[in-house]
Amino acid sequence: MVRSRETSLDSVFAALADPTRRAILERLLTGGELTVGEVAAPFDVTTPAISRHLRVLEHAGLIERRTERQWRYLRASKGALSALEDWVSRQRRHWAAALDRLEAVAAATTPKRRKS
Amino acid sequence: MNLDTQDDSRLTLERTIPTSPQDLFQLWVDPTQVARWWAPDGYQCLVDSLDARPGGRWRTILQHPSSKQIAISGVYRTIEPPRLLTFTWAWEDEHGRRGHETEVRVRFSPVPGGTRLLLIQQAFENKSVRDRHNFGWSAGFDRLTRIHATT
Repeated sequence: MVRSRETSLDSVFAALADPTRRAILERLLTGGELTVGEVAAPFDVTTPAISRHLRVLEHAGLIERRTERQWRYLRASKGALSALEDWVSRQRRHWAAALDRLEAVAAATTPKRRKS
Repeated sequence: MNLDTQDDSRLTLERTIPTSPQDLFQLWVDPTQVARWWAPDGYQCLVDSLDARPGGRWRTILQHPSSKQIAISGVYRTIEPPRLLTFTWAWEDEHGRRGHETEVRVRFSPVPGGTRLLLIQQAFENKSVRDRHNFGWSAGFDRLTRIHATT
């Protein structure tokens, strides 16, 4: 119920609203640190488009960059999705409790029918 | 439109409740009934508006004696009693600004002895996708956070 970190959560949601960006993040979450080229390889989009996606992910705090000589590496931030995870678990608890109450109200409202 | 969710990529909850779909559906769209179960324990629920028509707005205010009130609001998208109810959902901050909007889809299926309720919450990614009633979270909350949890 507490609305902490809502601003960062909004930018996380906005970043993840795009399927390409979700796929990039999934790739980094499972693949560890990758070069920009490796990240871009499976996607049929232009380099500037990939760069834009990476910027959005970076601004949302979901990925981090590291440069070593001429290579640019990307990785998922530590705790990248913790704001989203908090939201999901909070929302899940909210609904679980709400459905408990719904069930109780339904039981109190529905006339009991005996089955033979 | 495929409502069956073999993939578990969204925030999904399921219940079987010993009430008919008709009666259960009413508990979601009748303001008096909603007020009975919508608010967490210890909170009062005030149904500020509830216009159960496609495009109709809803807004509820949750009031706790010892804390600030919290509002949740949205717009109904699908009202198909007694089978399907979909609406947008956002928590509001103390200035009435709505946070990120997600969509809640509640499906009511008759089963022997009652109703199976399936609730799915997910974010849509853009208007064109939303208008096609085809929701964009192919890799949804649960999936991403599961991947995240294992890394």
